[in-house]
Amino acid sequence: MSLSPLKASARHRDGIAIIDLQGEINRMSEEPLNAAYADATKQEVAKVLLNFDDVDYINSTGIAVIVGLLARARNDGRSVTACGLSDHYREIFEITRLSDFMTIFTDEENALTDVPA
Amino acid sequence: MTSTNPPVNEGPELRLGDGPTPEVISEEEIHEEVKPPEVSARDAANWAKSVSRLSVSDAPADAVNLNVTGRRVMSPIQGFGKMWQKTYRVELANCESTPSEIITVWKENFSKFWPERNRFFGPLTGIAPGEVALLNLTMPGRLKLSTGVLVLYADEESFTLMTPQGHMFAGWITFSSFEKSGSPVAQAQVLMRSNDPMYEIGLSLGGHKKEDEFWEHTLSSLASYLGAGGEVDTQVICVDKKRQWSKATNIWHNAAIRSSIYSMGTPFRMIAKPFRRT
Repeated sequence: MSLSPLKASARHRDGIAIIDLQGEINRMSEEPLNAAYADATKQEVAKVLLNFDDVDYINSTGIAVIVGLLARARNDGRSVTACGLSDHYREIFEITRLSDFMTIFTDEENALTDVPA
Repeated sequence: MTSTNPPVNEGPELRLGDGPTPEVISEEEIHEEVKPPEVSARDAANWAKSVSRLSVSDAPADAVNLNVTGRRVMSPIQGFGKMWQKTYRVELANCESTPSEIITVWKENFSKFWPERNRFFGPLTGIAPGEVALLNLTMPGRLKLSTGVLVLYADEESFTLMTPQGHMFAGWITFSSFEKSGSPVAQAQVLMRSNDPMYEIGLSLGGHKKEDEFWEHTLSSLASYLGAGGEVDTQVICVDKKRQWSKATNIWHNAAIRSSIYSMGTPFRMIAKPFRRT
């Protein structure tokens, strides 16, 4: 099984750091995700939004990578939220209980106006 | 033969325009209501379906089924202690099996590779997403611990087990195989927090070392089974140094305490057995 690399890029909007994710989140994703997080938090931000709009695959090692990022952000005193998850991956976030610690929004606009899914 | 069907034309006559005025839906509303069906994710079959509480079906007669039924699964975030990522990896030099063949062998013989006195009662259907397995473990001091795991995820090259409330740690273990520098590699990766303060103390006082030995033994056994030698490489990273004191109450479900109480009651249960109603 060949693994596709994840593309992760950071931008800022309304004082929130947004990390756009594209492709597959798997065991190869740790490096690009951490690099994007470092880039996103170069400037002082209290909230990080993970945008899953263009993510088409997450496996269990990918979930572990997200947990690692969540722990790092909590350690830094930042909250992490998510948007753009399909119904399937929203269910996965519930099974793995990631949703207990990460508010999930339907899309970026709702995330910025703080309207959970 | 006589027909028992009612006549087709019975009942009041219906005419067009007799009913209530239909509600008019604007074009904008139609666009909002009618969404294209979501294309089924290609990994949907690899994940366990959502369960609020675990249940065990067909527990083997020799398995102690405690601390699993009715428990919720725990992600590493719900635990108490420091968060650790532990990676145990063995390079299977001279092994001609593909990663998917290695994972098939690992799934089929999962408990065979474990150290003695630790038992994994896997589901009859094998390691598949959503299945629950019972664990009867021997802890330091010969303390027996009965717990279980949920198969959270499984595909051809990996599978993940997630622990329930009361387990030593909250988290999951992913077993995988992949090619690295032309050789297959087998890996177990644990992402965990101890579940409560008692387990945290236990892990600090040698529990972590025991756990490392457990998975190193497992990987060595797998490598031997596949006819490949290889040193197990262990890498431990502290992902989060903070302890989550709000989770200290997890101790209520502590499987070690509950298993000990159960063990202490064994003589009384044996005496009471003949008097029990069937």
